[in-house]
Amino acid sequence: MTDYIIETENLTKTYPGNIQAVKGIHLQIKQGEIFGFLGPNGAGKTTTIKMLSTSITPTSGSASIMGYDIVKDSLRVRRNIGVVPQDLTADEDLKAVENLRMIARFYDLPKVPSNKKIAELLNLVDLGDVGGHYVRTFSGGMRKRLELIMGLVNEPKVLFLDEPTLGLDVQTRAKMWDYIKKVREDLGVTIILTTHYLEEADELSDRICIIDHGNIITIGTSAELKASLKGDSIIVETKDEESLKTVAEFSGSLEEPAINGKEIRLTVKDADSDLPLLMDFMIKKGITPMKMSVQKPSLDQVFLKLTGNEIREDSGESAFKQALTMRRMRR
Amino acid sequence: MSGLIPLTVRELKKWYRNPVFFFVGLIQPIFWIVLFGSAFDLAKLLGTAGVNSPLSPFYPAPNYITFIIGGILTTTSLFTGMFAGVNIIWDRRLGPMSRFLVSPISRSSIVFSKVLSSTFRILVQAVILIAAALIIPNGLVLRKGFNVFDVFVIVVALVLIAFSFSSLFSIIAIRLRKMETVFGIINLINLPLIFASFALFPKALMASWLGTVAEYNPVSWSSEAIRTVLLYGNLTSSQTHSVLLYLLYLGLLATFLVVLTYILSEKEIRD
Repeated sequence: MTDYIIETENLTKTYPGNIQAVKGIHLQIKQGEIFGFLGPNGAGKTTTIKMLSTSITPTSGSASIMGYDIVKDSLRVRRNIGVVPQDLTADEDLKAVENLRMIARFYDLPKVPSNKKIAELLNLVDLGDVGGHYVRTFSGGMRKRLELIMGLVNEPKVLFLDEPTLGLDVQTRAKMWDYIKKVREDLGVTIILTTHYLEEADELSDRICIIDHGNIITIGTSAELKASLKGDSIIVETKDEESLKTVAEFSGSLEEPAINGKEIRLTVKDADSDLPLLMDFMIKKGITPMKMSVQKPSLDQVFLKLTGNEIREDSGESAFKQALTMRRMRR
Repeated sequence: MSGLIPLTVRELKKWYRNPVFFFVGLIQPIFWIVLFGSAFDLAKLLGTAGVNSPLSPFYPAPNYITFIIGGILTTTSLFTGMFAGVNIIWDRRLGPMSRFLVSPISRSSIVFSKVLSSTFRILVQAVILIAAALIIPNGLVLRKGFNVFDVFVIVVALVLIAFSFSSLFSIIAIRLRKMETVFGIINLINLPLIFASFALFPKALMASWLGTVAEYNPVSWSSEAIRTVLLYGNLTSSQTHSVLLYLLYLGLLATFLVVLTYILSEKEIRD
């Protein structure tokens, strides 16, 4: 036995038409952590989660959750996990409690304790007052909260959240984050989430797994990933390219500076103390900057550096369209 | 079959809570008998003596409504059975299907909950329809010898036809994603099922090729079985024999379709 609650070995999914959604990933996820899959739409996050939660079977490779194989022991896996799919799954024509009680019946949970559990869960996400209301009367944020606890009725050890805040406005999203943290603290579940929002991965995850084109690019804590950038960036724009070469000679830069047109990007240890030194240096050399800016390490930059792409903050609509395309592929 | 009961309860809740759905489902068959049932006044068509003559193609029906009740009950179950299939598509499009698929329930229970709830709805509709037909003037006339066996035949025929049709429409829906396609297919098969059968007209009045085709139509089997017990009440042994034979055909068809539904839904259903 290991300390890992989830382990995967060369997990692969190829869709018909030789579309390789997930290309053999190795993962070890610790008990009690929030593990975030971060990547652009179509990176293979949802496919990975769907395999782990037994909705689709892997093409090759293996994975186990709490020691149970996801293919051979899929029913046992299903009993021990909670899943919150990307789409809204509550039946609008039923009341919130009715949806939750139906799920309790799916797991053959005895009535009295499960009803008590359901009441607790509703209170956990501040839906205690509206449990008896029809789901169709709920706002978007309320529905997402209901979805969150719909995955918790069977008291799972592992909870999968697929894009838990997709399509929510900024305020509602921040609230949703608080609820997810509360779930982990109060119930002690291991949470696996996917997201294409950098702030979300940063805010929630203990460890982040950056995934692109079906491959794992890197895994680490947010701090580790940012540290891999080695420092802050100072970006200087000047009138002519000639002076950039002079700026590049600045002794405080840690790496070979990157020149792009009239712009130069210097990596320094600490921008706060290095910026005045750079200013001094430039004045002495007689260079007048047009523009100067400082960038502290962000996951954005980590992503940019590792994948060579910026993770685009897609507009809700196009993200939705892409999600639909992926869904069609999965069918 | 874990999940079958909670899912069936869900279907029935959605049905009786939606007043439009509920009442349309009940009123529509009543329209059928009141309007279509009055479309042919047998007394005008055949004369009063003709209606009571054994030569009448409708003999011994005292009126057209009594003649077509068995057919209307069967067609109604055809229409209600459609919803089994349609609701599978809705569940997939509106999201609940994703929840069912990650739950530890057998996949066929998702489909059979629709079959069971449709069957239940059909039986409720049948009771109301028969009651309405008895109340209206010049409506259903029951024979004196109407007995428990007759009731048994009606219930069994309806349950079997309901299982068959709702399984059939579920099988269509398991693979399909688009509502438009499902409705297209349903319309395509409903018309021939109704008109190439003895649901509304006796064989004696049909073109002979149509009469031959209709003999192989399950809608005819159920319609004729119900019609026979309603028109004769106390059956002769040869009538009993033919009624039981119809029920046997229906039973075989229902078993075949239910098994097929089971296999396909366990294997094919996805979100």
